Amino acid sequence: MSAAPIVVDHLTKSFGTSRAVDDVSLTVTEGQVFGFLGPNGAGKSTTIRCLLGLYRPTSGRAAVLGHDPAARDRSFLWDVGYLPGELRLPEQLTGADILRRFASMRGLRDTAYQRQLVARLGADLTRPLRTLSKGNKQKIGIVLALMHRPRLLVLDEPTSGLDPLLQDEFLTLLRETVEDGRTVLLSSHDLDEVQRIVQRIAVIKEGRIVLDDTIEALRASAPRTIELTFDRDTDATALAAVPGVTVRTATGRRVTLSHTGPPGPVLSVIASLQPETITARPADLDELFLRLYGTDDKDRP
Amino acid sequence: MNADVLRLDLRLRRRILIGTAVGAAAYLFLIVAMYPSFKHDTSLDAMIAANPTAAAAFGVTGSITSPAGWLNANMYANFAPLLALLLTIGYGAAAIAGQDADGTLGMVANTPLSRLRLLGQKATALLLVSLVVPVASYAACLPGPHFGLDPGWGRLAGISLAVTLLAFDLGALALLVGAATGSRGAALGVASAVAGAAYLVASLAPVVSAFHRIRWLSPFTWAVGSDQLATGVTIGEAGALLGLGVLLVAASVPALERLDIH
Repeated sequence: MSAAPIVVDHLTKSFGTSRAVDDVSLTVTEGQVFGFLGPNGAGKSTTIRCLLGLYRPTSGRAAVLGHDPAARDRSFLWDVGYLPGELRLPEQLTGADILRRFASMRGLRDTAYQRQLVARLGADLTRPLRTLSKGNKQKIGIVLALMHRPRLLVLDEPTSGLDPLLQDEFLTLLRETVEDGRTVLLSSHDLDEVQRIVQRIAVIKEGRIVLDDTIEALRASAPRTIELTFDRDTDATALAAVPGVTVRTATGRRVTLSHTGPPGPVLSVIASLQPETITARPADLDELFLRLYGTDDKDRP
Repeated sequence: MNADVLRLDLRLRRRILIGTAVGAAAYLFLIVAMYPSFKHDTSLDAMIAANPTAAAAFGVTGSITSPAGWLNANMYANFAPLLALLLTIGYGAAAIAGQDADGTLGMVANTPLSRLRLLGQKATALLLVSLVVPVASYAACLPGPHFGLDPGWGRLAGISLAVTLLAFDLGALALLVGAATGSRGAALGVASAVAGAAYLVASLAPVVSAFHRIRWLSPFTWAVGSDQLATGVTIGEAGALLGLGVLLVAASVPALERLDIH
């Protein structure tokens, strides 16, 4: 079995005195869509640039397809496709011109798959990029990332600007990629975009990994929401004391709480309070991520 | 050698390169065509002799009614280096730092091209950009004999080479500063300031003794500051210009290796 396509080991990247990425470690295994989540400015793009050798880490190391991306040898990039978060291409060139030039840079002679991607995404290759909308430029970027069928795809906010139909088509492309045994690192600040397709998620906040787990394990441990109504004013203090319970709202006759862990203890307390109605919603990843993201996020360089 | 980056950069600057080449050639053709009206005008030489400092500021010394003096005063001592430097300093600052600021360098740097090869293509593109004004100017001189102006083709080729290397050197300085700092502004500022200072030292050296003592430090002196159109470019001068360019490009290699590309 070959080594994991991405191994990050205590990676730190500083700009001056500011640590954009702080002691990050993670592993992306082959044939997996790995979601890399975090609020804007959390350090996702900086980590990705270190993985591609665009940034030199301040400390720690990474291995991408078995290569050190900080080394001078860039041959590992033959097998990597990259879509940056803010796609910038020469604005005066047409999509066709850009695809032709980058195909040549990658030594790509068989462009059948490139043409297939253009057709599936409906990319406009005839007009200069400066006349295209953000979504239409993004299509060119997606074709550039995928056209050489790389073993590893690194996608930073890939569906930015795409309409919902194209987002579905894009996710289909990613599913085909992993079915082919290839690997995808999908960075996003949007959980909805990621949770439909990824097998594993890491969350980065203020430069540090705050969560790294499989989607199944996260769903199992994610908080469930329970809503209670009463026919009288009720004191929710006893609920707040139960391990794993967070009382989100308590307005006398209505209580909403989040709960993780075994249900027995909380059900016992609820039963003793004799509510009029009980509504329980399934595990909610949004709730988990909102907690992780917090409210004090600041943009970083 | 794969030259995709080189071709891409030249394609992106196609208009300014063609426009400058056409402008330089058209201007110099007019100068050449006007030569018969001035070649016997001794009052011009008298005016230069009476105002040596002002003339020196434009790089003009000695007779300007001789074929070499006429071309030197109107093109090779001033406008030719100026136009060539506008192109090369502009490209040198844009090639690394400018494209990094635009975000386009990252897409190119994400191809399997090593940074050494990337720089090699940028330096080759810079050399081609450096050739634009000298080659267009040389071509504009070709009808010279028809207007009674024989510049001395060997010496003209020599100064064309010298202007090319001078432009390359200052462009390479912009490339180096851009790779070292990632700042297009710093690259443009440093290279332009050095070019301006070097021009002043070389052009005013005949009339300002302080500059005369340090004139050998100025690449303009090596290229156009010693009446090279009349006397020819020496191997030492060409070697110094070439060596400086090689040194600056070589220094750009570790700078680019260390640069964080956005």
